[in-house]
Amino acid sequence: MRVVIAEDDAVSRRILETLLRKWGHEVTTTQDGEAAWNVLREPGAPSLAILDILMPGIDGLELCRRVRQSPNNIPPYIILLTANHGVPEIVKGIEAGANDYLIKPYDSDELRARVQVGVRMVELQTSLAERVKELEVALTHVKKLEGILPICSYCKKIRNDLDSWQHVESYVAAHSQVEFSHGICPACFENTVKPQLESFQISQALALEPGN
Amino acid sequence: MSFEQIINGENQETPPLAPVPARVIRTTSDAVDMELLKAFEELQSDDGSDLIVELIDLYLKDAPQRMLAIREAALENEWGLLKRAVHNLKGSSANLGVRLVAETCIKLERIECEHSTEGVRKLLQQMDDEFARASEVLLSERQRRLQ
Repeated sequence: MRVVIAEDDAVSRRILETLLRKWGHEVTTTQDGEAAWNVLREPGAPSLAILDILMPGIDGLELCRRVRQSPNNIPPYIILLTANHGVPEIVKGIEAGANDYLIKPYDSDELRARVQVGVRMVELQTSLAERVKELEVALTHVKKLEGILPICSYCKKIRNDLDSWQHVESYVAAHSQVEFSHGICPACFENTVKPQLESFQISQALALEPGN
Repeated sequence: MSFEQIINGENQETPPLAPVPARVIRTTSDAVDMELLKAFEELQSDDGSDLIVELIDLYLKDAPQRMLAIREAALENEWGLLKRAVHNLKGSSANLGVRLVAETCIKLERIECEHSTEGVRKLLQQMDDEFARASEVLLSERQRRLQ
């Protein structure tokens, strides 16, 4: 996964970079908040950011706020590094938009575990975003009927957009995903089909009588 | 000392040791925790470069700049700036096992500068001395590794 590090201390930055590369991540290092902000604004920016709170210029907290205010499709997962143990500092960081924090000096196993949480979160978000995109594309293909349809009270034809009268079946089929399979409902069978069959049978019988 | 302990920076967070007089004579072996530094061998990269040499170079380039910033801040009574620069120097020193510089930084972080300018001056002198000793050890280690 692509990771950006913002840490003004060169030694700490190099150690962090070495650890992350060892764990298989693609790392971009920056030494202040401004440089990190530029990296995070690029198209295809890193999905995970590890930011020191205390930095010259834009500090880690301000960087978090900027990232959260920018309209990213998938915002990066942010881990803040703080040397202060106080709860207010941690609360400030989370309120500014950090997903997680680590107190310096940190344990490398803990860092690795927290980075892994970030990776899982980003992968989940990416997968959800892809699903949403697929659904949005699918929605554009769904046709639906809505509004008022002018229909003939007698023959039940529908007047279409070209001002011609269409059979209800063809109209509905053209304006939706519906396909028709034809059958006869019991009422129509009793009222229409049955009398026609009886009439047909009578006419056949008459035709077979001698002298006809 | 293990790599985990380095990363944990145990030196950095332990309470300061008993006060050390500013000009106390120390041996160079106290200046740098070599065991701690060598634990970075676990992280050596595959490209053949020596991470420890690289970290030493970074530290020896970065620390004097921090120390200059600390001195300038002290001269101008900019105690906020001083504490911030001290905080940074403490972190990188502790990371590399430069423990006496880190310990001096802890003292500088904790001292009430406004009320103890003489104390600050002594600690700055102590910081310079400890850094000089540590540089000697680090440069020697660097040379040994490059041979």
